[in-house]
Amino acid sequence: MLESEYQEQNRFFLNMGPQHPSTHGVLLIVLEMNGEYVLDPQPVLGFIHRMHEKMGESRPCPGFMPNTARMDYVCALPYNHGYVSLIERKAGIEVPRRAEYIRVITSELNRIASHLLWLGAYLLDLGAFTPILYGFDDREHILDILESVTGSRLTYCYYRFGGVYQDIDDKFVEATRAFIKRLRKRYVIYEKLVTQNIIFIKRTENIGIVSPDMALRYGITGPNLRGSGVAYDVRKNEPYSVYPEFDFEIPVGEQGDCLDRYMVRVREIEQSLRIIEQALDRLPDGPVRSKVPKTIKLSPGDCNFAVEAARGELSYYLVGDGTSTPYRLKVRVPSYSNLSCLPELGRGILLPDLVSILGSFDLVIPEMDR
Amino acid sequence: MDKIIKDFKRYFIDQGFDAIETDHERRGFHLEVVLDVNQVRKFAETAYELGFYLVFVAGLHVRPDEENDNGNSGLEVVYQFARYDRPYRVKARASVPKNLNISSISDIYHGADWHERETRDLFGVIFDGHPNLKPLLLSEEDVNFHPLLKEEAKLKTLHEVSWSPETPKSDPDKPERKPKDSLTQ
Repeated sequence: MLESEYQEQNRFFLNMGPQHPSTHGVLLIVLEMNGEYVLDPQPVLGFIHRMHEKMGESRPCPGFMPNTARMDYVCALPYNHGYVSLIERKAGIEVPRRAEYIRVITSELNRIASHLLWLGAYLLDLGAFTPILYGFDDREHILDILESVTGSRLTYCYYRFGGVYQDIDDKFVEATRAFIKRLRKRYVIYEKLVTQNIIFIKRTENIGIVSPDMALRYGITGPNLRGSGVAYDVRKNEPYSVYPEFDFEIPVGEQGDCLDRYMVRVREIEQSLRIIEQALDRLPDGPVRSKVPKTIKLSPGDCNFAVEAARGELSYYLVGDGTSTPYRLKVRVPSYSNLSCLPELGRGILLPDLVSILGSFDLVIPEMDR
Repeated sequence: MDKIIKDFKRYFIDQGFDAIETDHERRGFHLEVVLDVNQVRKFAETAYELGFYLVFVAGLHVRPDEENDNGNSGLEVVYQFARYDRPYRVKARASVPKNLNISSISDIYHGADWHERETRDLFGVIFDGHPNLKPLLLSEEDVNFHPLLKEEAKLKTLHEVSWSPETPKSDPDKPERKPKDSLTQ
């Protein structure tokens, strides 16, 4: 048998997903394989497509608030934040400072919860079972804290145009401070359990390298971009809310492999803790909601608002026509652009490495499919 | 910072694009560029050379201008670009002609591939030169179903959904619907 015929016989297609555990949701990747090597991975999206943009265009703008949390359900508060800020920018609504502080505190708590869940789930993908138990244990504390003010544990609808739904109390502040103290102690455990683990390092180092040029071509943002050494964070680059008042750093990686993306997220947790600490120390008094007209008119014209969600840059683009219903609402979600580089990144690698790359991208499928 | 925005603007104008500065506080981006349909690729190349990344590609359905027919279908394609190092955000817009064809930029910005497929799904815009213009978010059977196209009665002209240059708060003279109609029912 000729070598080429032999190669041809070894070629086959493999459907990874939509039920595969390491796709974390209903994502299908059609893989053209040669033995254990991936020749061409093609993601197939749309299994959980709900047409959120159409829903946004068919009802007055407050009605879209619950939808925002149902895109990225793991880190929903930045999605709330982007949408209320968009409408506030469009309608010229002022937000009390206390409300902005509460938004930042709760958004950052949510970001930490998202990173902790990712950390556990990623390690689970790589075959380590224990970290997810630790991750869930810590995340549970955040969910309890957020539940006490927002009323929900996952799909929050806490922010309102011109403020937040309700004020935080001393109990919330106490619990948050206790949590910060607790999580800093837990770093040691994570360090010993995961970061120094040789199997983990072998599965992530030099795998799935995203170069800054590749990131630019695909519009990759968030920790996936910062892993490649580009310090781009909307909170710093295009500051919104009260973020300019806080002192925090943007962790970056060096070469953009899976290990760098892991390290960036772990170090981001500490930066989020720092922001929360400063915000709690300087929490101003005052109202948490300003007077807002019952019907918010969206003046004719377009308007954009970008925020940093846990997975990257989230942009809302709205076109108003003078009524209270948006004429057009576009949601730019980070995971969508982040995953679009997979066909290039996953060519010629081993199947287990593809699982490692997918995990390191921190995908949330309902966010991509919208 | 304003100086660099002005430099970008001047550069775009030198290259033959119609660029105007916009108020970032109010609109969320710094420059607005109105493109002719055959300038899209050139603009994407210019933006790529200047180090912009592609934020998104989206569609917009408006009523075509009936009084002076300029051959537009009423579909608009909106591109947004931004930079990793500094907060410069550029919005570009191009009107799609009646044959619904517009050049694809997916070979310049590889990330545009999915955004263009999505825009085809939702609006039916055909991106010339796209290597794989299959349905992405919608199913393969729904190849001719475009959910974001508006009904005739709901369509507004591009002028009605654009900022009025002099007074930003001016509303059309028709009265707003009472909240009772829209919220409590």
